[in-house]
Amino acid sequence: MITMLVIALALGALAVLYAAVRSRRTSSNKGIRHVDVPALRTLMDREDEEFLRNRLPRARFTRLKRKRIMVTFRYVGRISANTAVVMRLGESVRFHSDPAVAQTAVQITELAAQIRLQCLVAFAKLSAEFAMPSLQLTPATLVPKYQTLRENVMRLGALETQNVAPAAVAI
Amino acid sequence: MSLQSVVQGVWAIGLVLQFLLAATLLAKKTWGKLPLFVVYAVFNLFESVVMYALLSHRAAYFYAYVAGETIAVALGLAVVYEIFIRLFLLYPGLQRVTRLSLYGVVAVLILLAVAVLASHTPIGQNGVLQAVLLVEEAARVVELGLLTFLFVFYSLFGLHWRQSVFGITLGLGICTVVKLLALTVMPYMSPSGALAINVISVLAFDCSLLIWLGYMLAPERVINTGELPQRAQLEQWNQAIMELINQ
Repeated sequence: MITMLVIALALGALAVLYAAVRSRRTSSNKGIRHVDVPALRTLMDREDEEFLRNRLPRARFTRLKRKRIMVTFRYVGRISANTAVVMRLGESVRFHSDPAVAQTAVQITELAAQIRLQCLVAFAKLSAEFAMPSLQLTPATLVPKYQTLRENVMRLGALETQNVAPAAVAI
Repeated sequence: MSLQSVVQGVWAIGLVLQFLLAATLLAKKTWGKLPLFVVYAVFNLFESVVMYALLSHRAAYFYAYVAGETIAVALGLAVVYEIFIRLFLLYPGLQRVTRLSLYGVVAVLILLAVAVLASHTPIGQNGVLQAVLLVEEAARVVELGLLTFLFVFYSLFGLHWRQSVFGITLGLGICTVVKLLALTVMPYMSPSGALAINVISVLAFDCSLLIWLGYMLAPERVINTGELPQRAQLEQWNQAIMELINQ
């Protein structure tokens, strides 16, 4: 039994190593992608959801809600991927000779990390709602934090135009 | 060509690679950034040279193996610790969640390591060697578990790996996977099977050496900001976010 567990751990680790090498090849080429924040807000709007719940038959509402969740998943996925890019950019300038640039980079990296963490929670919540559409667990704090991140990246862009300007505009 | 001479040939190649790695690490002054890895690499070279020299002296070889493996396993765990410190210092915002999940993972891994130790007791007549191999297996479980945790955690958070640190972690991971599998299945093997596993184990270590050398010599990747969206598209996005704020 223990031998099988150890072998499973080793084989699992091998799979993780393979996945890490593969994802490293692709992730370095990723840039920031567009996020339609108003559309995301609409998707997360509970009033809208209540309206649909009251108007539609249960089966149809369940189907529709699952579709909405799938789309929300994609939006959150994009935010999540964007924060990874921001963290990479932030890390690349955190040892900048200008202390103001370096400090802003640290703040951005930290905030991006927090958002990424929230995205993981959001994924878990959305998965739960997908499994049980009657649940209401929308991660409401994600959008305001993303907005704060945007402001900080703008600040960094103003301080260090050469490296991060496109990201600053993009976020 | 006998399997024994294949082992010696692969071992000799490993010696050359270890020498090259040590030279590269010293030439690139890596001890300033990754001192424990440099110690680990230099110690591995030293151990291999000593073991190669003692091949024909069975008793001395045995004691050198026991001492060498004990130190190498401890240094391997130290390198994992060094990688953790280096990687997570970059992201202070993640320290709390890292610490919490790390404690959980370490607790599970220690339990598994204890279970490995308990499942093989009482130790037979060939006590010392068996005990050393057992402790090595338990330590490898912890080492591999931590490396896997590191890869999973980094992937979950989409964090950026420095080229050299990624190479070190990958090489260490491959080497540890094969060593752990070898240690686990060795007791169930015939003598010829055990020898074949030894060849695979040495080959895996040589493969790790090549990975370490490759990643040490390769230039650090420049972060590409050129593929970010066009300005007009970005302005549109900005506008949308501003509308969101003001609504």
